[in-house]
Amino acid sequence: MTDHPTLARRDLLKIGGVTAFGVSMPGVLTACAGDANPASEAGNELRVSQAVDATTLDPHKHGDLPSMHVLINIFDTLTVRDTNDKLVGGLATSWKPIGDKAWRFTLRKGVTFHNGEPFDAEAVKFSIERLVDPKTQSPIVELRYVTHVKVVDEYTADLVTSEPDPILPQKVSLFGGVIIPPKYVKEKGDAAFAEKPVGTGPFVFERWKRDSEVSMKANAKYWKGKPAVDRLVIKIMPDPSSSLAALQSGQLDMVSGLTPDAADQLGDAPDLKIVTSPGIRTFFVSLDTLSGGPLAKKEVRQALNHALDVPTLIKSVLNGAAQRTPTLIPRQAFGFDPAIEAFTHDLAKAKSLLTQAGYPNGFSTKLSASSLDKDIAQAISGQLEKAGVKAEVSLLDAATFKSRLVSENKAALGPMYFSGNTGWTMDAESNLQSFIRHDRRQSRWDDKEADRLVDVEEQTIDSGDRKVAFRKLQELMKDEAPFLYLWQTSNVYARNNRLQWKMNANGTLAFADAKLGKA
Amino acid sequence: MTEGAATAPPPTARRVRTTGGIGDRALWLFIGKRFGHTVLVLFLVATVSFLLVRLSGDPVRQMLPPDATLEQENALRATLGLDRSLLDQYVSYMTGLVRFDLGQSLFYHRPALDVILERLPATLQLSVGAFVFALVLAIPAGIVSALRRGTSTDTSVMAAVLVGQSTPAFWVGILLILVFAVNLRWFPASGMGGFANLVLPSITLGLYSSAIIARLLRSSLIEVLGEDYIRTARAKGLATWKVVASHGLRNASLPVVTVIGLEVGSLLGGAILTEQVFSWPGVGRLTIEAITYRDYPLMQATILFLAAVFVLVNLLVDLSYAFLDPRVRLT
Repeated sequence: MTDHPTLARRDLLKIGGVTAFGVSMPGVLTACAGDANPASEAGNELRVSQAVDATTLDPHKHGDLPSMHVLINIFDTLTVRDTNDKLVGGLATSWKPIGDKAWRFTLRKGVTFHNGEPFDAEAVKFSIERLVDPKTQSPIVELRYVTHVKVVDEYTADLVTSEPDPILPQKVSLFGGVIIPPKYVKEKGDAAFAEKPVGTGPFVFERWKRDSEVSMKANAKYWKGKPAVDRLVIKIMPDPSSSLAALQSGQLDMVSGLTPDAADQLGDAPDLKIVTSPGIRTFFVSLDTLSGGPLAKKEVRQALNHALDVPTLIKSVLNGAAQRTPTLIPRQAFGFDPAIEAFTHDLAKAKSLLTQAGYPNGFSTKLSASSLDKDIAQAISGQLEKAGVKAEVSLLDAATFKSRLVSENKAALGPMYFSGNTGWTMDAESNLQSFIRHDRRQSRWDDKEADRLVDVEEQTIDSGDRKVAFRKLQELMKDEAPFLYLWQTSNVYARNNRLQWKMNANGTLAFADAKLGKA
Repeated sequence: MTEGAATAPPPTARRVRTTGGIGDRALWLFIGKRFGHTVLVLFLVATVSFLLVRLSGDPVRQMLPPDATLEQENALRATLGLDRSLLDQYVSYMTGLVRFDLGQSLFYHRPALDVILERLPATLQLSVGAFVFALVLAIPAGIVSALRRGTSTDTSVMAAVLVGQSTPAFWVGILLILVFAVNLRWFPASGMGGFANLVLPSITLGLYSSAIIARLLRSSLIEVLGEDYIRTARAKGLATWKVVASHGLRNASLPVVTVIGLEVGSLLGGAILTEQVFSWPGVGRLTIEAITYRDYPLMQATILFLAAVFVLVNLLVDLSYAFLDPRVRLT
């Protein structure tokens, strides 16, 4: 064993050569899939990343934002939120109520779908009725009161409802209002439509490589004029550090949907920018007022609100990327009353309210949250403890959390849980509908006056009356405090200096107006 | 299978024939037995995954928004067939499997198998890239350190291997991205595309396997090089590289082939982290997605699919082993 076989360098090379055949293999394999390196040809192509892929490209069969980010560039909706968050015309130019149970939409003339099919009232009838047809299994529930669509003439359509729906025009500004081509869908079938969607929107669908990218090219015949960018590519990149690296290496123009701490990783790159844009997703802690115990007492609920130092939470946990909300309604929504002030942070007051309610030494309780919100839940628990309330944090995986949230058992998530809600219609009705009226799914509050006010704002067409109802409702919500009121988060994204674009508050990646300057 | 066992020659007769080859009865018996095992394992995986997946929560509630009505929920549950009894669902799932029907993905509204097969080329490409990288690195490293055993070359190669084996893949991935994509801009940071896109993820995924293979090849080769026949070959005056290549490597390859086979299996199934870091649209990411969305049929299908790949690779390893060394069949 002492005689080591010795080996000349030349011999080694020969043996190594046996394995070298393998080096050429990946080249052969990828030759068919290989395009030119995307990093090398930026051009007038806008490349944006999001973490999650669209689930389907059939706009009526999904209710999630990642799908909407793609589809809003291919399709148009009847109404639109502009960059100042105002409701303006899309495929409809104007609208008005007809009695209590119908809205009349006047449609834009001279619009065609990407396949040349004309847009008219029949297309609206087909689209809306397909969406509300139970057979479609659409998860978009906003249009549930719509029974049918009446074609008045070629460019006028009435959306008829079973109950008064004052915010129907708002509901057709995004998920509810996507218009699809009747002839194309009927001829090709639903599956083919989802594979190759055809809309009237600013970009024409090119191809979808699942979990990789969706590419679209500018619609030269778009009714608002051809978009400034020639091509839009939405890339799916689940990991924030690698998508930020792709931005830094010039492979991307924008990274969307960042959390504040992920955005921090970018550091100070001179030609890149982190943008914090106002958003409408509101967050709160729901309190179980129905199951007895300390939370059944109004004073206790008020005390917990006083115990929280919300501005500090926003600064420390969210890096400042949020704005405080006095109740559950975000600032941009119709019905938000600026006269209503948020709870003050006042530990002494919190303690005296607790004493008044019979809990001078505080009490123990449980705070549930999705594991994604672990830091926030722990920070809230830490602040409550200073007022003597020990809220043990219980974390659940996101899917379990959601199924308990919508469970029949309203106590399924325990006495307190942290949650969020997006009312994309930007009317306070959407922010309140599931949480306030005693018979709604996620309501843990039983108050006759609150129920009455909800009925008023949901069933009155007159916006003045609705505004009054919303104001009284917010006053009542603050006094009775069935929630801990927290904040509305901002949309955080990173972009290079080439991209000129403004995101509106509903946070969708609508790029009809985006421009790319010189790098 | 039982029929084959009944008509098989007595063990003593088999022991005589150890030559291998197509006409070898013992070899076919061995193949039949292993194949039967494979089917049994897949049946068990299908059953267990069916049950486990149903313990994990209600997909209907994940699919509908929180303000959906109860009627909507029940209607969806009925169309998805989730209102039927567990046994009923199990029977239709199993009968579907026989026809290679793995069910309909709830979120993609398409057959689950189609969804998987669509992602498979990406995973295969990455696995092959990683495998090739692993071999290119491991074989020379294993040979050199075996031949220079105890020298500083050996020590430093094995130290490098140890580092490769103990560094987590996601960290290697991020490091490679920072150096070669962000700073040097030699390769794209992520996504799928041409050959350039394949380099960094292949290195990330292949590094661990390469370390394992190099270590195993080294120890196996050292053992073989100590055998008498090597000494004889060298005494005949054969060039060292010829001795190593034709006698040493061939005899040292048995344990290495086993490990390589297993590594191919884990490359296919274990690419989840690498696919995540490099935004690679493969089966690993699809599995995570299916779990997140509680997509029952897709979850079952991906679990079964990955299990099938693993089991089949194992089967192939066993069979190639049997061809390489006939003695194996008798144990």
